[in-house]
Amino acid sequence: MKPVRLVILLASCGLSASALAHDPVFGLGPHVLFKEGVEIAPEARTGKAGDNRESEFGLELTYGLTGDWAAGISLPYERNSTGAGSQSGQGDAIIFTKYRFWREDSPGAQQSMSLALKLKTNTGDNATSTGTTDYITGLAYGYESRSWYRWAALRYRINGTDDAGLKRGDRMLFDLVGGYRPKLTGYREPDTVWLLELNGEFSQRAELGNITVANTGGNQWFVSPGIFWTLRNFAIKAGIQIPVASDLNGNQSEADYRARLILEWHL
Amino acid sequence: MHNIKTFLFTLTLFASLNAVALADDAVYSIRVDGLACPYCAYGIEKKLNAIEGVRFRDMDLEKGIVTVETHDVTLSDEQLKQLFQDAGFTYRSKQVTQQ
Repeated sequence: MKPVRLVILLASCGLSASALAHDPVFGLGPHVLFKEGVEIAPEARTGKAGDNRESEFGLELTYGLTGDWAAGISLPYERNSTGAGSQSGQGDAIIFTKYRFWREDSPGAQQSMSLALKLKTNTGDNATSTGTTDYITGLAYGYESRSWYRWAALRYRINGTDDAGLKRGDRMLFDLVGGYRPKLTGYREPDTVWLLELNGEFSQRAELGNITVANTGGNQWFVSPGIFWTLRNFAIKAGIQIPVASDLNGNQSEADYRARLILEWHL
Repeated sequence: MHNIKTFLFTLTLFASLNAVALADDAVYSIRVDGLACPYCAYGIEKKLNAIEGVRFRDMDLEKGIVTVETHDVTLSDEQLKQLFQDAGFTYRSKQVTQQ
């Protein structure tokens, strides 16, 4: 395996967090979709770590199987560049489902918990695929009221091994999120919620054959301000992840920033 | 012949007026829990408008009240409970005002 490809594969193990409805921008939330509802969500994301830059344009389609259970697919197109060059192409498709197993409604407020499962397929182009099938599971809690929001989530990603014998390290993600709606608006009025996320990422070292790859794995923490703007069945979500602490193994570039923009329609 | 035409016209007019008189127009004020954000509540509007004879009017998020107009339709508690469950919220009660 060429070193460049190795670097790209290691860099591109960021998680595509499907963000349903009023979920956080980067973290996982408990939201699903109304029964027989369709969500169409084109999105763009970019990130930079030293000389490495990743950009992704994706389309996410979600369907509400029941009022508490949704499933969908995410189709990304990626462009990754390093100091040695750049590559682009179709990324790996992700199939996902989320089930809200607990919900408690009160006047003007809702608490809920959901379980999310994702399967990252090995369907992308050679240049932009990880070459593996990966599994992601997550547990999310959320409280929403007219003015305040809070979420907490834990995700775990089990990465597969590619044809060359490289296994990217498994990864755990932790999210704590707060949200505030400064102005209480009516149903047909534009609505804005400001978000502040704390995202933690804990990655194990990669292995090539049975040998641990030194410059892989480690921990990173991000503070991520974001906005959620909606008008009836249309939403714009945007946020930026700012690294606040890094403890990466060996010689690795720390993240400079990551940004995400999502447009969302409920039909 | 003229008498028959007059009779049929009178009969048709009577039937039409009767139908109007029997039409059951009402406004439902439905109390719902869990209404925190307008975007998440869109499924309620969509599901209510999918019922023939029902027209979504508005939603008061502060009071947790969804208002619909109905024409020749009666919405039962069971029906509303299921509808709001499918939309991701909890139905509590309804108040019906005949128009």
